[in-house]
Amino acid sequence: MNGFWWKIGGALIFLYVLIGGLVIPIKPGITSVTPSNAKSGEEMSFNVVGYNTHFLAATKVRAWLKLDSIHAISAKEIQKITENEAKFTFSIPANFPVKEAVQPLSLIVDNDVDGVFVQPNAIFATVADSSTISGEAWKSSGIGQFSVVKGIKFPYRNILNETIRNTFFHIALWFAMFILLIVGVYHAVRFMNTGDMIHDIKSASFNKIGIMYGVFGLITGSVWAKFTWDTFWTSDVKLNMTAIAMLIYLAYLVLRGSSSDHDRRAKLSASYSIFAFVALIPLVFIIPRMTDSLHPGNGGNPALGGEDLDNTLRLFFYPSIIAMALLGTWMSQLLIRYEKLKEKVLLKNQ
Amino acid sequence: MNITKVKDIFIKELSIEFRQKFALGGIFLFATTVVFIVYKSFNNINPREWTILIWIIMLFAGLNAIVKSFLQEKKETYLYYYTLFDPIDLIVAKLLYNFMFLCVLFLIILGVMFIFTGFPVKDYGLFFMGSGLGIFGISIVFTFVSVISAADSGSSTMMSILALPLVLPIVLLLLKITTVSVRLLVDTAIMDDVMMLIGVDFILLGAMLLLFPGLWRS
Repeated sequence: MNGFWWKIGGALIFLYVLIGGLVIPIKPGITSVTPSNAKSGEEMSFNVVGYNTHFLAATKVRAWLKLDSIHAISAKEIQKITENEAKFTFSIPANFPVKEAVQPLSLIVDNDVDGVFVQPNAIFATVADSSTISGEAWKSSGIGQFSVVKGIKFPYRNILNETIRNTFFHIALWFAMFILLIVGVYHAVRFMNTGDMIHDIKSASFNKIGIMYGVFGLITGSVWAKFTWDTFWTSDVKLNMTAIAMLIYLAYLVLRGSSSDHDRRAKLSASYSIFAFVALIPLVFIIPRMTDSLHPGNGGNPALGGEDLDNTLRLFFYPSIIAMALLGTWMSQLLIRYEKLKEKVLLKNQ
Repeated sequence: MNITKVKDIFIKELSIEFRQKFALGGIFLFATTVVFIVYKSFNNINPREWTILIWIIMLFAGLNAIVKSFLQEKKETYLYYYTLFDPIDLIVAKLLYNFMFLCVLFLIILGVMFIFTGFPVKDYGLFFMGSGLGIFGISIVFTFVSVISAADSGSSTMMSILALPLVLPIVLLLLKITTVSVRLLVDTAIMDDVMMLIGVDFILLGAMLLLFPGLWRS
């Protein structure tokens, strides 16, 4: 039973991530607003389609069109159609407090079941008479005092929708892969220093599981890309660099399989894995940071954190990394034990 | 590191190379033939294809050339070297020799390409600086991998399996630098890529110098 607790821990945390990550609902959001254009001085009604919203169940639905932090107008009339569909009528004032001819307006909806949710730049308003600047009509909207809703929900993001849950699996797999590969390189360095075969076995096992995680990371990423970018593979830098990294590590597997002499194989694969890891650093950490990419954190996109990783996601994302790393270590340990047994049988037969 | 020893090994490599003229000739014949095949199949090569072809030809001709650097020598010779030289001297000399060899090979490929397909490069400084740095990186990877494959089984198949994925990042940077120097692409921050190439070169060089002594003892 010695050293058993962390395996149980890893499995339990993973179970927690799996259940929590898949069961907790996404916050309500607005999928589409039609029409998306408006003219000043007209009364217009917009058909709003929401996601995970409860327009019928809510007793009090309010909506605003917001121009900036102090200017907004409230909806004149709200007509509920279904739980996820409603018609909001606004009378757009003739004069705007700013000079530009076209103004983006954000739609804010609040009700007592869902809480408040926003569609930024939902409507583009064309100002007919942009010479008169007046903010009078925009000031008395009564925006504020939003309903507070209890319980945790994952953030709603356009395009991402439900796939935001993949954060716990795809990104956590990459983090865990790096942890495993770093352990693998550490043991390769130890092997080069001591020449102890146990380090060779450990290094190889951690690298193998790391490579497996890398392949899983590619697969989960590919599926995610299909639903958000509409293609399994793009020419995004990060994808290409990862593909190269995987090729380098697959060559490592070929090298390990090629030689039958154990001592020589150990030495060669240890030095190759150190060399490969060194070559990997600019590949995965530096080049993608310098070029444009669709991934968050590259080419001007916000990195992890900000709006993409809020506290509810963190509640599962960090445990997921820990769970994946623990499970990976467990799998590596199984491989190590298997290799050790193989070695033992080999010695006995000789 | 002993400069005279490095020089001695370098000169020894050079004289062995010139003694085996068929090997030398074979590599250059390979390069010329490939360029000719490419020329005949494309007939009219635009700058875009030129930048890609020159590095693909360079990569495979170079791979053929470097395979010999450690594979051609016998086990006994190694034992003899072992008593004679410091490993760092040996690897530095081999690396410099390979670098020079690849540079000459590159110039020959460029020359043949020039005759058949023209020379679309506009920014000479950037092109030759980038190529020099890239070839240095490629020669580091090839030298190191030829040590590994020589120690492993002495087969050249292993060499290409191990070396090609490792040079990919260098080749990608090189392709970008060449594309900019041909003016297919305007990039004001191309110096960042050149700096990155220098960084990759140094990282690989450091890793090789650290790892080679341990490898060589076997």
